[in-house]
Amino acid sequence: MIPAGVSIEEIFLLAAALFVVLAIVMFYRAVAGPTTQDRLLAVNVLGTNTVVILALLAAGLDEPWFLDIALIYALLNFLMAVAISKFTVERGGVL
Amino acid sequence: MIEAARFWAIVVLVVAGLFFTFVSAVGVIRLPDIYARAHTASQTDTLGAGLALAAVALALGWQQASVYTVLLLFFVFITNPTAAHAIARSAAETGIEPVTADSATDDGSPDSGTGAPDRNSSEPDAGSDVDGGETA
Amino acid sequence: MAGNRVLVPLSDTVTVRQTVSYAVRSGLEDADSLEVHLVVALPHDTEVPEGDEQREEANQLLARARRWLAEDAGDADVTVESAVLGDDEYLFGPRDYADAFEEYADEHGVDLVVIDPEYKPGVTSSILQPLERELDAAGLSYDEAAVERPARHERLVGEGTERFDRYFALFWISFGFYLVLGDPTYWFDLVTGVAVAGIVSASLANVTFSFPLDRIESPIRTVRFAFYVPYLIWEIVKANVAISVVILRPSMPIAPTITRVNTRVRSGLPLLALANSITLTPGTLTVRANDQRLIVHTLIPSAREDLFDGSLERAVRFVFNGRESARIPSPRERGDAEIIGGDEL
Repeated sequence: MIPAGVSIEEIFLLAAALFVVLAIVMFYRAVAGPTTQDRLLAVNVLGTNTVVILALLAAGLDEPWFLDIALIYALLNFLMAVAISKFTVERGGVL
Repeated sequence: MIEAARFWAIVVLVVAGLFFTFVSAVGVIRLPDIYARAHTASQTDTLGAGLALAAVALALGWQQASVYTVLLLFFVFITNPTAAHAIARSAAETGIEPVTADSATDDGSPDSGTGAPDRNSSEPDAGSDVDGGETA
Repeated sequence: MAGNRVLVPLSDTVTVRQTVSYAVRSGLEDADSLEVHLVVALPHDTEVPEGDEQREEANQLLARARRWLAEDAGDADVTVESAVLGDDEYLFGPRDYADAFEEYADEHGVDLVVIDPEYKPGVTSSILQPLERELDAAGLSYDEAAVERPARHERLVGEGTERFDRYFALFWISFGFYLVLGDPTYWFDLVTGVAVAGIVSASLANVTFSFPLDRIESPIRTVRFAFYVPYLIWEIVKANVAISVVILRPSMPIAPTITRVNTRVRSGLPLLALANSITLTPGTLTVRANDQRLIVHTLIPSAREDLFDGSLERAVRFVFNGRESARIPSPRERGDAEIIGGDEL
């Protein structure tokens, strides 16, 4: 039985809010470090979280085009992680 | 009836997704070093994201947008471990020493002695600059 | 000088025939007798199911090379020895090959190694340059055989159809992806999709597939991969629950270790699939993948045990080589898994 007064959209919006809270918690690691890789990892996780939040908002607000942005964001997130970790190894070298 | 089943399936997926993302956040904060953090940061989080995206796909039903979501899910599952591997490798190459079961005890990390492996030889300098993940 | 002893590593290449005659010619230049040691280095040992087949091929190659030698030698005093190396050990990269050759050279008093410029043992790609570097390091003198390349027509034809297969596969993959994002019923998307897929396949086909495609095997692999995905997801969920329990416990009983696992999957896509699967299962994280040696960081003992039991390795072998080759001993039983210290990273 579906509980009265609760719609799926509200659940998605609530979940998105909770994901934002978790993202803020993870942000601590991006600020605290201590190494470059720690920050990079934290930013990468934040990126994944952002993708999920975008997808949840797309369903919650019924704006399917958010998913396009999420897809691009996921691609860029991956490229960023690989590019920066490559850069930290051969510092100053061409990627 | 089917509507109710779908509703509850979505709720379960979202809650499970939130749970694993929560575990991932806790891991990122608590674990002692970069290699250990990579476990939760990139993998538990991948599952969390995957479950949440599955919920979205289920809610959108049979339309173009849910194809996108499945694509996104697939993509996250492929790229996240690759990125984690790239980061861990870059950490290894810049000479960050991992905290292993033996050394973890002497730099004050939370209790880790339990299943300490038998032959995990030398683990000397606690003074290396990066193993202080717990401090910050 | 009484006689020369040369070691000639053989592999099935276009230039192997010429390498053998070069070895005979150059060896007889400054000596009246020559002892030629023909060896084939096996990339897998015979425990692995495909090992038997490779051993058979190696013996055939040796027999052929013996005939060539007899032809080339004529009346000159040439003796031949042949051997199969790497039977009892697993050769990974150039380093291992160089070591194996050096050991053999020591045993038999060989003073020169003649290398085929196209030398390509087993399934890995050409390793000539790194091999020469390692031979230098091992203090073994070598000589690269002077050969004229190409000719072997069926090879060239084979490469032609294979190139077509690559373009064909990549074209449909990228066209499919384009249509998933666009609208498969709208003519504009169909036309631009063909154009984009054409450009992508023309420019990137040689980069995308680093291994030869097989018209029969590749589709079968795709199907088997579809069976592998649910299994992998099940493993991921199990491992995630295990790790969540550990992390949420206030005492957090983790026991991080660095382990080394020598896997028995081919480099390239199979190795990528295995390394990624290992990383995707929480508790194990691939830090490095050099040749078939994986350096894996494990967080909890149970994850380490699973890794050493090699169920993922078997599954990946199933995907790429079929059911038969999935039945191999676990890394633990093979002695291919060990815990190493953090400083060995």
